[in-house]
Amino acid sequence: MEQVRLKANVSSPQQSRLAGAQLGAGLGLKLEHLDDILALPRADTLPAVESLWFEVHTENYFVAGGPRLNALRSIRDNYDVSFHGVGGSLGYDHQSMHEHIQQVKALINEFQPVLVSEHAVWSRSGGTYFADLMPLPRTQDALQSLVDGVDRFQSGIGRRILIENPSNYLDFTSEMDEPAFLVEAARRSGCGLLIDINNLYLSSKNTGIDAAQYLSQIPVELVGEIHIAGHDPDPELGQALLIDSHASPVDLAVWELLQYALTLFGHQPVLVERDANLPPFAELMNERQQAQDCLEQCRHEAASANVSLGEIR
Amino acid sequence: MAFSPYIDAFTDYLRTGDTRGMNDYCVDATQLKRLAVYRNGFYKGCIDALAANFPVCEKSLGREYFNQLARLYVDHYPPEIGTLVGYGEYFPYFIRDLLEVLEQQESMRLSASLVDLARLDYAWLTSLMSADATQTLTAEKITWLVEHGEDFTQAQVTLSASVDLLRVNAGTLNQWLGFKTNSPDVEPLVLLPEGHMNLSELSQADSAPAVDTVMFWRLNDAVQARLLSVPEVALMRALQDVGVLEKAFAAALALDPSFDVSEVFSACLQNEILDIDLTKYNYKN
Repeated sequence: MEQVRLKANVSSPQQSRLAGAQLGAGLGLKLEHLDDILALPRADTLPAVESLWFEVHTENYFVAGGPRLNALRSIRDNYDVSFHGVGGSLGYDHQSMHEHIQQVKALINEFQPVLVSEHAVWSRSGGTYFADLMPLPRTQDALQSLVDGVDRFQSGIGRRILIENPSNYLDFTSEMDEPAFLVEAARRSGCGLLIDINNLYLSSKNTGIDAAQYLSQIPVELVGEIHIAGHDPDPELGQALLIDSHASPVDLAVWELLQYALTLFGHQPVLVERDANLPPFAELMNERQQAQDCLEQCRHEAASANVSLGEIR
Repeated sequence: MAFSPYIDAFTDYLRTGDTRGMNDYCVDATQLKRLAVYRNGFYKGCIDALAANFPVCEKSLGREYFNQLARLYVDHYPPEIGTLVGYGEYFPYFIRDLLEVLEQQESMRLSASLVDLARLDYAWLTSLMSADATQTLTAEKITWLVEHGEDFTQAQVTLSASVDLLRVNAGTLNQWLGFKTNSPDVEPLVLLPEGHMNLSELSQADSAPAVDTVMFWRLNDAVQARLLSVPEVALMRALQDVGVLEKAFAAALALDPSFDVSEVFSACLQNEILDIDLTKYNYKN
């Protein structure tokens, strides 16, 4: 196993100027865990719960009423929440966005999420919603289309959003690399970036990019949130193709890359995502605590510390 | 590289599985088969959503067989909006149409009751996600109306948004509830010829007395279900169509003069299934 030592080349990472900077480590909300969450001690009585927050997939709450919304209300009464969209299709087919945006806006108005994010992908075309995060080619045309989508989305909801880097499984013909593409999209639209460390790790393994170099191209002031998650090897191709499954614990290499990212970006809200093969809530809280520990370490260590990074290349 | 042709080629791939249109857009053509990650993700997301939205259908068929059916549905009725909540609106009718085709294929049989199970699944989901009631008719409001000289039986009422009435073959609700509650008494749907009911039989059953009317509604965030008697059906239908209590009571009593209107009305209040707009009465809570 190749071991790569990287030296963070920033002396003092700036704090993010985006909303949510006060958040610590959070968890993706699974309603299966609702009772466990509501049974947690209050934050003022248990330090471990302090700065805990929850993220939801916005579209799961596109309902008129009922227990799902009430569950989210009960969470919101006790914790900060963030909205993470998966169906906005910012990269293409903006004509169909209006109703979608209106529903997001209605939820935002009620729940006042600390952060609102989406993906730098497309998912709708020809009247069909493809229910997954489809890659954009990194071309000027696609970039402008993404910027237009972000513009429309932000204008519609009246909020700045973050857009997330995708997991890449193969290379498409491109005119620029992904950091340049995302940074330019952010510059033109005024949005921020959500850096998904697991996605980046998968992209580095699947397409051979340099994860550390990638991160070094992201201006700290654009970063507003970090995601980590588990992945799994493709059933056929094995380790040659890693899949963003969100069905496993966070991999050691992803934890290490998170540590490195935090030395570059400073304290950021870090979310542990788990969407399938759900473990007991206590296990997720352990992972969340590990992320919180990383944030504490980041807070206390000198930013110029050497970070040992395994299997990045 | 033009953007729209890329999207068109990718869309075509997702719908058909044919990678040829994507050749020009991939750096390494030998990696084209990796596109399957995206197509698999599309199908998996949709099929998982259908399984979540039609849990009794999934249990009754078994996951493998359900997945085959669901995949066919995705091909014919892919999602159109950016959420999978509520996906599968046409699934029961897709099954019904499929039955028609499969009727002629002795090799593959589906039980006709699957259509009703799917309808019950979706009605349950619809009730679960329906708008919260904000104008529930309560005993307190009736008292207020009476005290203000109003004849509440003439007031305009509506069924709560969570109320859904549907007719199913007799016995299907119990079968559905058995699957829903994991009752050991419920047998999986028979996929063999002897368990098959063809569409003409289904049609007969639908027009015959052996039809149940099921009512779903939501109370305290939980969906309730019960079979309605014939006069109860008349009452609910009248409420749906006319929305005046007196007329609804009359419709029920016309079918059964011994029908206990007060008992049913009281149950309606307790279960919060009636709404009333008291704005014109200047009601203040």
